[in-house]
Amino acid sequence: MGNRRKWIQYVILTVVLLVGGYAIGNALFTKSTVLAKGDKPPGFRLAGLDNEVHEWKDYEGKPLILNFWGTFCPPCRNEMPALQKQYEKWKGQGLELVGINLSEDRLTVESFIRQVGVNFPILLDKDKKTEKRYGLKQYPTTFFITADGTIQEVVIGGLLSEEEIQTRVERLMKTKS
Amino acid sequence: MFQNTKCECGHQNPVGTVLCESCGKPLVENLLTDEGTLEMRYDGVARRSQKANPQVIDRIWNFFSSVKIAVYLIAITLVGASLGTIFQQESTLINMSGYSEFRDFYKEKYGTLGVIYHALGLSRTYESWWFVGLLVMIGTSLVVCSLDRVLPLYRALTKQQIRKHLQFITRQQVVYNGALQGDKDVWLTEFAKQMKRKRYRVWQEDGGLLAEKNRFSRWGPYINHIGLIIFLLAVLGRGIPAWHMDQYLSLYEGETRQIPDTNYYVKNDKFTVEYYKDDELASNQKGTKVVKLYETKARLYECTDFCDDPIRKPVLTEVEKHDIHVNSALSYKGMSLYQNSFQERVRFISVHPSLMDATTGKALGSFDLLMDDPAESYEVGPYTLTLNDYYPDFSLDDQSRPMTKTREPNNPAFVFRIKGPDIQAKGDVYIYFPMPSEKSKYYEKILNESFKQRGDNTGRFTIKVENPIVDGKMNNIKYSEYTTYLNIRVDKAMPYIWVGAAISMIGLIMGFYWQHRRIWLRIDEDKLSLGAHTNKNSFGLRADVAWALGRTGIEVPPKSLDNRRNLS
Repeated sequence: MGNRRKWIQYVILTVVLLVGGYAIGNALFTKSTVLAKGDKPPGFRLAGLDNEVHEWKDYEGKPLILNFWGTFCPPCRNEMPALQKQYEKWKGQGLELVGINLSEDRLTVESFIRQVGVNFPILLDKDKKTEKRYGLKQYPTTFFITADGTIQEVVIGGLLSEEEIQTRVERLMKTKS
Repeated sequence: MFQNTKCECGHQNPVGTVLCESCGKPLVENLLTDEGTLEMRYDGVARRSQKANPQVIDRIWNFFSSVKIAVYLIAITLVGASLGTIFQQESTLINMSGYSEFRDFYKEKYGTLGVIYHALGLSRTYESWWFVGLLVMIGTSLVVCSLDRVLPLYRALTKQQIRKHLQFITRQQVVYNGALQGDKDVWLTEFAKQMKRKRYRVWQEDGGLLAEKNRFSRWGPYINHIGLIIFLLAVLGRGIPAWHMDQYLSLYEGETRQIPDTNYYVKNDKFTVEYYKDDELASNQKGTKVVKLYETKARLYECTDFCDDPIRKPVLTEVEKHDIHVNSALSYKGMSLYQNSFQERVRFISVHPSLMDATTGKALGSFDLLMDDPAESYEVGPYTLTLNDYYPDFSLDDQSRPMTKTREPNNPAFVFRIKGPDIQAKGDVYIYFPMPSEKSKYYEKILNESFKQRGDNTGRFTIKVENPIVDGKMNNIKYSEYTTYLNIRVDKAMPYIWVGAAISMIGLIMGFYWQHRRIWLRIDEDKLSLGAHTNKNSFGLRADVAWALGRTGIEVPPKSLDNRRNLS
């Protein structure tokens, strides 16, 4: 009798601990949509301008620069040539650079890319889905992601110069391991 | 401190017992010497968890087993919940996300107090860990308190001794003492008969009698608690992602959008807003815009193929169609789409322009041109138009290159390359602005002029909408006047909330509208001792007792049976 009573106590307190722990944990760790340094970025699965499916896992294990941009955003347009130059310089050493366009029409994107002469993969977001998952607030936003898949730096707004990109790429390549 | 828990009747009671479980004799010292009526709470039985030597688990258990603690918890929760009503909660601000955006909102709208309110996390009171924690603790307290009391009470009420201790009887709230004339057994049988007529259940045992009615009402509070626990669990269950969804979607007329994180798509066929006419309004409202109707003609689609394929278009199957009004949602498989708000915003959908011969002004053919994802080539008569460039919101950047200012087709511009008979091999390049504004037409003119200078344009063609206005209405142009905002909700917890609330209500009714009445009676030689107890409405109990006594030859006014009154 005494044992059974104790047993019921343990069962009830365990259930309380599980349910309560889950509920409180849920409240405590509501994930903020804004990504920051040290976070693992969410995955993506998008069509590229090359008409191929590009996935997050295609770039895993390599240092990656993820640039969210649009043709409607002047600083995005202005930093494109610099990004392209850095890509050419570092791609031999394993750097990956992916531009995710902010849900524009394919034609608009294609003609701009042709003009600038970009040859890193350009992916097309649809209905702002990926953009929202990455918690974007301003354009452009560039994520520097190390080979182990954590965000080293988030740069919001234009990068302006090639040097500024260069120092960040160097840091990114150093943590490559 | 050692407490002897064995009663003189021979029954061994658990620690904490106030009245002997068997004969009802008070066991606590000061109760024995005291003269007042007995505290009959839970029939004087010990709470289940009361122990001589509590361990850590027992102490935790005892904490939650205390009604006093439960009252404190409820009071703290009420105060906490009221804090969430001071300023607007974050969850009601549908267009915002991110810490800094909310912080700025509270600062701007409520000033310093708002900053403090947001910093303390009170802008998310009901989702905060401490509030959820309080709910969990109340839930625990409900379970533990009920279990600790209902089981001993159940045991005590199913195994009641019929002949009770004299002290137990004479110290009830309703008491009668008197001498009995005539045959005791005959009187007892007659009294039992009268009690049965009042629908009491009667037991007899060597000169003692127990009459009892409506015992089930004692279970009311516990049934109520079961309902509340189901209710609370259902509320906490909203934390499970698949159980709860509450999001907003904007759709212009004709737009189809995926409902995020689902396999469903919605289309807004048409949005209508109607206002009351002046003669329908009260005199003080005349001249103001009072809305009569908001309506979104909506279609719901389910994706059946290529759903996660970024390259191919998803295959959609219509599953539901409904005109969404306020309080008339589109419902499908537990998902509801409500009308939330709207915005008056003109947005281009498509135009139907014609390719014209510039010199003769004759139309060579016409085609459909969409503002979203326009097709890349068009066959117009003998000519082929290839879309080279598309700027939804035309402008020039700081290097004077054409660009789009936004993603919305506010001032679209299309660059076509026209090929066909009698045109130079590289084709004729023509930029077309469908927007019938002066500025757009000016751009169209000078840009085509510059193409001409470059030799890309021979000036042979123009593209324009024929008969743009017919009977004062836009012709050959499709546009959306309104953007509707739909609130999409899934609440799988709702049925459980209703069930919990219904069970809780049943429990409350059981406890409120019936009373548990018991009458104990013993005859010692010629002396009749009667005690009676009820958990509420002792007036009714006294009336029952006086009525039964009266029917068996003992006339007493009901008032005189009140033990508490007699004492004071």
